[in-house]
Amino acid sequence: MGASNSPLALPLAAVFTVCFVAPLFVLLVLSLHGDVAMTNWSLLNYLSFFTDRFSYSILIDTLLLGVKATLVCFIFGFPVAWLSARVNARWQSILLFLVILPILTSVVVRTFSWIVILGRYGVLNQIALGLGLVSEPLRLLYTETGVVMVLAQVQMPLMVLPILSVLSKQDPNLADASRALGAGEWRTLWKITLPLAIPGIVAGCILTYAASVTAFVTQSLIGGARLIYMPLDIYQQAVGANNWPYAAALSIIFMVSVMAVVAILNAVGRRSETHGRA
Amino acid sequence: MKLTIDRRQLMQSAGILGLAMGAPRLALGEEKTLVAATFPGTWSEADRNVLLPAFKKKTGATVTQSIILGTDQVSRLVAAKGNKPPFDVAFFDAPQVIDAVREGLIVEYPVAKSPNFKELLPSAQDKWGPKITMQVIGIGYNPTKITTPPTSWDDLLDPKYKGRVGLTALNSQLGIAFLVEVNRVKGGTDENFDPAFKYLAQLLPNVGAIAANLGAYATLWQQEQVDIAPYNFNFVQTLKAKDVPVELSIPSSGAVGWSTSLHLVANAAEPDLAVQYIDLHLDAAIQEQLMKSPYDAIPTNAHVKLEGGITKTLAKSQDDLAKIRTIDWEKINPQRGALIDRFNREIKL
Repeated sequence: MGASNSPLALPLAAVFTVCFVAPLFVLLVLSLHGDVAMTNWSLLNYLSFFTDRFSYSILIDTLLLGVKATLVCFIFGFPVAWLSARVNARWQSILLFLVILPILTSVVVRTFSWIVILGRYGVLNQIALGLGLVSEPLRLLYTETGVVMVLAQVQMPLMVLPILSVLSKQDPNLADASRALGAGEWRTLWKITLPLAIPGIVAGCILTYAASVTAFVTQSLIGGARLIYMPLDIYQQAVGANNWPYAAALSIIFMVSVMAVVAILNAVGRRSETHGRA
Repeated sequence: MKLTIDRRQLMQSAGILGLAMGAPRLALGEEKTLVAATFPGTWSEADRNVLLPAFKKKTGATVTQSIILGTDQVSRLVAAKGNKPPFDVAFFDAPQVIDAVREGLIVEYPVAKSPNFKELLPSAQDKWGPKITMQVIGIGYNPTKITTPPTSWDDLLDPKYKGRVGLTALNSQLGIAFLVEVNRVKGGTDENFDPAFKYLAQLLPNVGAIAANLGAYATLWQQEQVDIAPYNFNFVQTLKAKDVPVELSIPSSGAVGWSTSLHLVANAAEPDLAVQYIDLHLDAAIQEQLMKSPYDAIPTNAHVKLEGGITKTLAKSQDDLAKIRTIDWEKINPQRGALIDRFNREIKL
């Protein structure tokens, strides 16, 4: 984009400054106050967070939750994207529609329907009991396994769409050449398709990860209050305990941590890209 | 044909568009809109179905509901300090009133402008805003699973309820009231919560789920994920009206509750309408309607005779209602943050 286009970006920049940068600045200032009345400046909130095992273990749990959800999402999402890229146009639009379908309903509705599926007398348990796989209902709701399952489904479009866009741009001749040179389907997938899809995979992982760790509704409805993740912690500190400065500090710490993870993913993506070209 | 739009034309069109958008307001200049806060769930429905039509009939004004919890209302009013508040009427549980008065978020209720105020029970005539109802907690249970109604908070500790007990996080009013009451029963004081936390530690093996919010808590009952748990009279009535198998039992240690009240927000855009709205909430005929299922709101107007679900579970008369124990929020409020924190630490998986 040339510099001549930059005035076009001004309205967006203005909106960003007013609606995003300014509030972030307020948040930062808020977090640097040591008391609830906000009279003195201090780093107390940050200090107490990093010196308290309970507090930082919530952060670690949240960041790990994102990794688990992203992995599950990738394992299920990649084949869907791969399949969508290879079928004919009609099937592709059907698959695409199925992938996008979850976005068309509210996240609250989707999450509540998962409560019905995962519950003690839910669909999943009825099937497992009916098939005689288990003798008493499994505990899925209010467990991390349940949260990971739901997050993976709810965020699936964010994983599938970027991968699909990269895969569908891949030159089919590459796969043909690989086959002509004697490589089987798996080897072609592993040596050709997957490495070339890395930019899409990284983009998908970043989106899924960022959406999973911040998914307040899903985390709190499926996980309950016993599994505490950062969004719930921030909400409780701000609204339940009315401790805005500490909640602000939590938000800043959380944001920086997620940004760090995203930066790492980005770096990994770039590196493999340059490797691929070399 | 070439379409060219110069700046002047653009501004003219924009101006006309702006006028057109503003026009409905100009044309209906007589009609005013009041923004009133209300709680999610039963209360927003009760207000929408009973209050709003009556208010429209009486004043000709419309009401926009702002459906948020009391604690969130305080947060929003604090955030809007110095500007126009986001709503004119606040809907608080007892503990928020203390915070709101301290922060200067509400003004004293203009009693002289509210004819129904003097019909209220003396205990409901608060100078910061009239109490319109009371919330009472007890032990909720699933009558299809538990045939003998529980009579004590200790019943929740029974090993036969392993994994079947529900709890809610302490950011809800229900959670904190439960903790305070159990603490009292177990010999604690408002300064010492060790007995309550000792009880919680004993209870944990039985706890199957701790809901993060009251919406999720209701789902626990609908999905029969829990059989026994502390619950609120009005929520039980709402679920019962939806054929969810749940009953409320008041333990022998007594009922505990807190008042819910309406307040005129400081610098409200429509103060007169706000007072008329609050006054209507105090009207005997309105409170009688609100006492019917599925709302089952406990009345505060002395002229309303108790009937329905209230008399079955809670109280035969206003005297019985007066005996319901209340909580000293002046003492509890400052500890809320510390209690939430301690609760989170001790219950985390």
